[in-house]
Amino acid sequence: MTLRTKFVLALAATLVLAALPWFAPPTLVQFGIATLLLATLAQGWNIIGGFTGYASFGNSVFFGLGSYGTAIAMVQWQLPFGVGLAFGVLLSVLFALVMGIPVLRLRGHYFAIATLALSQVMTAIVSNLEIAGRNIGLVLPLLNGDALFYELSLAVLVLATLTIFWISRSRFGFGLIAIRENEDAAASMGIDTTRYKVLAFALAGIFSALAGGIHAYWITFIDPVSAFDLSLNVKMIIMTVFGGPGSVLGPVIGAFVLSAISETLSTEVSSVASLFFGMVIVAAVIFMPRGLADLIRRFRKTGWRYFSENVRSHRL
Amino acid sequence: MQLLAQVLVNGVLLGGLYALMALGLALVWGVLNIVNLAHGALIMLGAYVGYYLFTLLDVDPFIALPIAMVVLFCVGYLLQAGILNLIARAAMFNTLLITFGIDVVLTQLAQMLFSADYRTINPGYAGANFMLFGITLPWVRVLAFAVALLLTLAMWLFLLHTRLGRGIRATAQNLGAARLYGVSPKRIYALTFGIGAALAGGAGDLYGVVSQINPYIGATLTAKSFAIAIIGGLESPLGVVVGGIFLGIVESLTALYIGPTFVDVASFGILVLVLIFRPNGLLGSTT
Repeated sequence: MTLRTKFVLALAATLVLAALPWFAPPTLVQFGIATLLLATLAQGWNIIGGFTGYASFGNSVFFGLGSYGTAIAMVQWQLPFGVGLAFGVLLSVLFALVMGIPVLRLRGHYFAIATLALSQVMTAIVSNLEIAGRNIGLVLPLLNGDALFYELSLAVLVLATLTIFWISRSRFGFGLIAIRENEDAAASMGIDTTRYKVLAFALAGIFSALAGGIHAYWITFIDPVSAFDLSLNVKMIIMTVFGGPGSVLGPVIGAFVLSAISETLSTEVSSVASLFFGMVIVAAVIFMPRGLADLIRRFRKTGWRYFSENVRSHRL
Repeated sequence: MQLLAQVLVNGVLLGGLYALMALGLALVWGVLNIVNLAHGALIMLGAYVGYYLFTLLDVDPFIALPIAMVVLFCVGYLLQAGILNLIARAAMFNTLLITFGIDVVLTQLAQMLFSADYRTINPGYAGANFMLFGITLPWVRVLAFAVALLLTLAMWLFLLHTRLGRGIRATAQNLGAARLYGVSPKRIYALTFGIGAALAGGAGDLYGVVSQINPYIGATLTAKSFAIAIIGGLESPLGVVVGGIFLGIVESLTALYIGPTFVDVASFGILVLVLIFRPNGLLGSTT
């Protein structure tokens, strides 16, 4: 497939998705909003985790800051939604810059754990802030308009995906990939690794905060535990890794497929849904560690041997 | 002054248990380079083994301790031999992800089998305490502290002086060279993960005596274990004990002087600071 046909197909898919609220039942539109926001979060993680190779557990902080920025601006200062969203994004970018510089010096597991700890710290700080409603949270004004939230979420996802498309073909993106493959070598080639990493972190922050702000206004209620929920961060990682980290469309496909599976299961048998989710993670890591994108690309050539070869190349 | 002394003692007693919790995580991390996100879930399983032995068969929790350790050793051995050995050479976040998947599976299974209700292991002597220099010492906590320290010491001696312990340390230093000297990595990996899980099981049994348990306690305990392992460093069990007691004291002091809702800010804030300024742990070398 040439780039042109791919682009036309993606455009057609986007148009079909955009038309969905006019013919789909309300429950499907609500499922759509949740899935589109998850896909946006997955794309955010894709920038720092997939391209740069830094396994961030702090992306749920961006989501939480986006939620709280929007909620505080709307509830405490009576500002319009758009301004609130911008305030959430600003908080998120500030966090990425201030914390990113010391934390992005850490590598491997140490970075993952530092970001994990940061998300715990942020949860605890926010639940002590008067302006954020302490651990009770905030109630946002009600707006009945699922179609509007749906289109807004879709627009943000398209924006995130286009940004990643640009990254994947730009000098900046190649720099990030070089950092992922060998950071010391990248630095010796003249890449300003700190600047690249912090920029990637901040970009991930922008999209995650946008998703957080939209989610807060849509749900109309936020509290520290759900806004900074760590399992949301893990979902971003799973969807990205399942779809194909470091690819343009992989995380979106991963988010759509896994959300659909999870939704079907939880309507059929709710108690087993999470159990199944856990098993999918384990099986996916063992048999297709490079995600759906790699599976589709290579399965035609190797057939079923694809899975056994993955196991053979990673086992002890 | 009296209050401060009491709080410090409480912190130290809590810290001993924390150290035992983190010991298994630090061992698996240091030797296998696996950051086990399911560690808290293993502690949770150990707590349930202790709980059911006590409620169904009336076994004292301190006698149930070795049983919980053996059960969890088997669980850990099977997890490593059956699943984790398959991805031993995969990328770092794939090992993080797979242990998270295992955590989800264990937590959900526990919820289906044991229900989500809060449980406690409540032996007759649970409320008993004694006074020393005007400080109240609950018997269970003192016993749990002593057992935790004994197990840590046993672990240290085992790593230093037994053939298997030397094999484990050799594997941690250089897998290739260890293999050349006749160490079978598959077996060592499974045994090490099993020992780590056994320590988690023992910690869980003690945790059930001093605190409430439910299937969801795992995530917080994993996070605390991380904090301790990082603060103490991965190099020796001694560091983990220091890290555990340090965290126990910090938490108790924060709860008293700043407020109970700030406990997590303090412990995880310290974790971030240690990572940034002394990534090899408070006791570790600075290079």
